[in-house]
Amino acid sequence: MRRYLAAPGDWIAALGDIAKFAARDFGEVFGLRVFRFFGEALRQAGVLILGSTIVFWSLAFILGLQCGIEGAYFNRSVGAPAYAGVFSAWCDLREIMPYAFGYMMSAKVGTGLVAEIGAMRITDEIDALEVMGISSMTFLCATRLLAAFMVLPFMYIAAVGAGFFASYLAVVQQIGEVSSGGFFLIFWMFQNPPDLLYSLIKGMVMATVIVIVGTYYGYTASGGPVGVGTATAKSMVLNTVMVHLVGMLGTQIFWGANPRAPIGG
Amino acid sequence: MVRAVADRAFLPTKNLLEQVGDMMILTGKTILSALRPPYPYGGELVQQFLFALRLCWFPLLVSTIAFGYGAPGLQAGNFLVLFGAIDRLGGFFVLASIREFAPFVTAIILAGVAGTAITADLGARKIREELDALQVLGVDPVKNLVVPRFLSLMVVTGLFNIYALLFGIFGGVLATLTFKAPLGPFFATLLTNASTTDLWGSVVKTTCFGAIIAIVCCYKGMTASGGAEGVGRAVNQAVVIAFLGIGAFNYVFTQTLLATHPEISVIK
Repeated sequence: MRRYLAAPGDWIAALGDIAKFAARDFGEVFGLRVFRFFGEALRQAGVLILGSTIVFWSLAFILGLQCGIEGAYFNRSVGAPAYAGVFSAWCDLREIMPYAFGYMMSAKVGTGLVAEIGAMRITDEIDALEVMGISSMTFLCATRLLAAFMVLPFMYIAAVGAGFFASYLAVVQQIGEVSSGGFFLIFWMFQNPPDLLYSLIKGMVMATVIVIVGTYYGYTASGGPVGVGTATAKSMVLNTVMVHLVGMLGTQIFWGANPRAPIGG
Repeated sequence: MVRAVADRAFLPTKNLLEQVGDMMILTGKTILSALRPPYPYGGELVQQFLFALRLCWFPLLVSTIAFGYGAPGLQAGNFLVLFGAIDRLGGFFVLASIREFAPFVTAIILAGVAGTAITADLGARKIREELDALQVLGVDPVKNLVVPRFLSLMVVTGLFNIYALLFGIFGGVLATLTFKAPLGPFFATLLTNASTTDLWGSVVKTTCFGAIIAIVCCYKGMTASGGAEGVGRAVNQAVVIAFLGIGAFNYVFTQTLLATHPEISVIK
């Protein structure tokens, strides 16, 4: 029984550490100390753009297709195929895009950070940085957080576009029970700019959590090459759970008491 | 110059295609050596099964309740409340939970939790040259390491799907309670709309997800190279490929199921 409770136990034990780590990291970024290494932050932003954009957009695209076909079949079954746009608008923008973003961020960026920083930790490169008088926390962790803040909002909005395009393809071109004009009429009627903003906030909170967890597990990795692998796996577990929790809380806060739909009273 | 540009554009694609081919070959080898006697992998199979169970039960529980409460529960519930038809939320959960998100969340969690653990484990063995040592001893790594993981992950993912959809529906129950609606109509519409086709479709889908996860993660673990960073990088690539594979397979499977069984999308 005890072994079955090991994972939740680990999280509770690590929670305080992670909170302390996050506070230090935010202190470095918002205390503007990170701008001493702005070049490094730009380089990390470049790494993010080149390495993660394509996989992230492809997951958004695939899940957009998924939303589209489910919406088309569901609306056909209630006898209102022309209203597939409602399903696509809510499913894509409000729920699935933040989740797609969270999943791909934790898979690609989170584990990548653990692997990279963890390898530096166990080959003593981080200690070497400290010896040279460079604050490793600022140079390694804060620059990556700043890079994420700089790049990810744009990547996220573009991914929402990819998801919309995929839903359009699935509903209008593939299933074909609603005309393109009818689809877009309903589709744009059931969303407005604040929805996009809320969705973006959800995605960015997920991204911040993932970067913090990834850098934490990398920064505190120990136990040789095997240790880096284990830390990577552990960070992934915590990240997937956090993504779902943030998604649920975001929905509750932004749309819980107010559906923001142009119908009803 | 032209050659450099061509290399930059086509080498990643070529690599990707080669890796996909390698994974297919590994799948074939795994299935063959699972069927062909002797069967030395029984103990390892049970051990891997319990290992996945131990790692995944808690993350899956939290994630499915959160997902079920947030996405289909609150959003669809809000929409239905506008029409005064909150009792229909149960019917919607057949589509949302059983057909769509329970399998998907199960696959994401299994890939993220059990899959990464498998890659980290096999990758560590690879770079400590234990896999080569096994081969020198005449022990076939595919039969003794990949086959038990492949089979146990398929079974465990299929079973976890049932667990996930139960807790997903529990999320829906929580959402219904937040709207201060009675639970009787929720379960009534849920049970009238649920069909066995939905259930077997969901279980078959997750079993295939389990196979995809096992093959991708074992392949990436067994081909890890480059010391400490190599294992981490292998885990990273394994999860990304597994997620994309799951997404693509999910689309094809759901589309086929919906198109070939029109009776499941009739609202009763």
